[in-house]
Amino acid sequence: MAKYSMVVDLDLCQGCRACTEACKIENNTGSGIFWMHVFRFEEGEYPETKMSFLPRPCQHCDNAPCVKVCPVGARFKREDGLVLTDFDRCIGCRYCELACPYGVNYFTWQSPEKSHYQDVVDWEDDDLALVTGGLVPPYKNPDLDLKYGEEQRYTAGGNHAKGVIEKCTFCVQRVEKGMNPACVETCPVNALIFGDTDSPDSPISHYLRVRQPWRLLEEAGTHPRVMYVGGKPPNPSLKEIERPKAEV
Amino acid sequence: MAVATQTSGSLLPQGVGRITRTWRLFFLGMILIAGFGLYAYLREVSSGMIVTNMRDTGTMGGAPWGLYVVMVEYFIGVSFAGIVIAAVSRVFRIRELQPISRIAELLTVGSLMVGLLAVLIDLGHPIRGVVNMLLYARPQSPFFGTFMLVAMGVLPASLVYLYLGARQDAAVVAEQPSRLQRLHRLWAAGYSDTEAERLRHRKVMFWLSVGIVPLIVVALSTEGLVFGIQVGRPGWFGSLQGPDFLVLAAASGLANLLVLTAIVRRLLGNTDRIGPSVFKWLGRFLLVAAAAALYFMIVELITLMYATPEHERLLADELIRGSYAWIFWVSIALMAAGLVLLLVQAGTRRWQIGPLVLASVLISTAALAERYLTVIPSQTHATLLPYEPGSYFPNWIEFAVVAGLFALGALLIGLFIKAFPILPLTDDEEVIADA
Ligand code: SF4
Ligand code: SF4
Repeated sequence: MAKYSMVVDLDLCQGCRACTEACKIENNTGSGIFWMHVFRFEEGEYPETKMSFLPRPCQHCDNAPCVKVCPVGARFKREDGLVLTDFDRCIGCRYCELACPYGVNYFTWQSPEKSHYQDVVDWEDDDLALVTGGLVPPYKNPDLDLKYGEEQRYTAGGNHAKGVIEKCTFCVQRVEKGMNPACVETCPVNALIFGDTDSPDSPISHYLRVRQPWRLLEEAGTHPRVMYVGGKPPNPSLKEIERPKAEV
Repeated sequence: MAVATQTSGSLLPQGVGRITRTWRLFFLGMILIAGFGLYAYLREVSSGMIVTNMRDTGTMGGAPWGLYVVMVEYFIGVSFAGIVIAAVSRVFRIRELQPISRIAELLTVGSLMVGLLAVLIDLGHPIRGVVNMLLYARPQSPFFGTFMLVAMGVLPASLVYLYLGARQDAAVVAEQPSRLQRLHRLWAAGYSDTEAERLRHRKVMFWLSVGIVPLIVVALSTEGLVFGIQVGRPGWFGSLQGPDFLVLAAASGLANLLVLTAIVRRLLGNTDRIGPSVFKWLGRFLLVAAAAALYFMIVELITLMYATPEHERLLADELIRGSYAWIFWVSIALMAAGLVLLLVQAGTRRWQIGPLVLASVLISTAALAERYLTVIPSQTHATLLPYEPGSYFPNWIEFAVVAGLFALGALLIGLFIKAFPILPLTDDEEVIADA
């Protein structure tokens, strides 16, 4: 069984947030929701300031606190390492969101029809229908509406539903087809590497043989499957700048 | 068996079944407030929780658990003292507290019901919540304790306790012809006042009293654990959350019980059944609980001030000097003021109802504020990754829903008082002796 992990090379990341965009388009997430977020940090006082970047997907922790606290087993860990949410089972208590030290979970505060930029995009527009063929509303994706994995659970975010928790799925719908997550595929400088760490020949295993990785908030004991190389762990002296201001 | 507090003009004691104009107005008022709360909640159901001020932590900088979770903690906390007082007075033969045992049980049942309702109101999928928590319950999650242990254990146990404890009285009032006779007969459910039946009843009540306290302590400790086990949230993680929860629960519960007792006394024409000794006992208990609560608050303050982990220190700053400072200092001041009021009375050995009620209101408000501070700031200001600080303050929808919950609780208690004698008709002294 493959064990999926992601490596984020902070020496390469240029903070362009293309991964954030790719994630939003692939997973049709609503306004204000960022399954993949890229921190832009500023350190020091002007003029002695330094900028750094830190992409932050779900860390797909091996010892995931979010899984432990879920009262109904909607948040679960798959054998291949993915931590997913069963949207059919989630009761919307948001306990996982608070248990997660990384702030990667998002609650669907309203129905997807309303949260999908309906104030800036006219989904009925004829030009848009030319692109989508008018088959499904453009913010929907039939791939996301399938059940995935051995467990056959509804985990890919679907076309989103009101009142449940969602987060990065490592693009389970792509991984199951042997593809990389959308963010990895899109990164223009290959700062994101995804693959099977159990296979010694995979690119990610090669990468990890030459670069020493560190993990985010290692002290929390969550054993993340996302590893970072280069850069340095964030600390409270870093100031987040340019936080996405989108409202839900 | 002595029947007490017979109201003249009515066959049923303690004004049961007599709905005066004031009572009608009270019921109407509570129904209106509860109705408004329901309207606010229905808006939430149809449009989603977007209509509240809750938002996600992290990039959204909000609090996903808001006023509703604060109220869950508060209501479930309040329920603690009632049943414990009722049980302790039975087990330890505190005769002075016997008259208010039913008030205490009623407070427990009422606040548990409202607290559980608040849990459901806070869920994105309330109906699925009930179904899935039955189908897929995971006892490893402290949420299980918050909901299932309370819904399936503490609440039914408290209801059985209230029901059994009042059966003897139900048999007495069931003999009086009235509109409520059928209800009273149902309640008495074949209870016959024979010596053997009484003995059995007393034994059951005694052992129920012994058993219910550990159950409620375990269930309520999980309320604190909901926060205490969270490694990823500075301000929450710690072994003191469980005990802290219980201490604050005792203080707020006793304070509410004292106020309710004073109201019932007034309603029954300042009855002698609830004499000064009742208030003296409640005042003493409240004094101990409030002192312990204040102690915890001060220990927490000192720990925060000297906290070395950077995140804890930032959180402390926010509490002591930042946007939550006014709530923090007001809660400490209210708790201290309530405690001083109690100390003065303890010192002079004169327990007076007015100052006791005032102290109770101060302490209960302080406890509510303290719950708010436990739940909210750790979400908006204690993210381990350097997200920008967030903010949260409830909006009118949340306030309306919570006001509705209070009104519902008051309605439940009011209806009970009008349907059943709120003070035991029988002297429990013999019960204790036999047990
Ligand atoms: S990053 Fe958070 S949501 Fe993702 S697996 Fe870890 S604890 Fe769970
Ligand atoms: S919000 Fe859903 S996935 Fe998260 S803990 Fe609650 S039930 Fe589980």
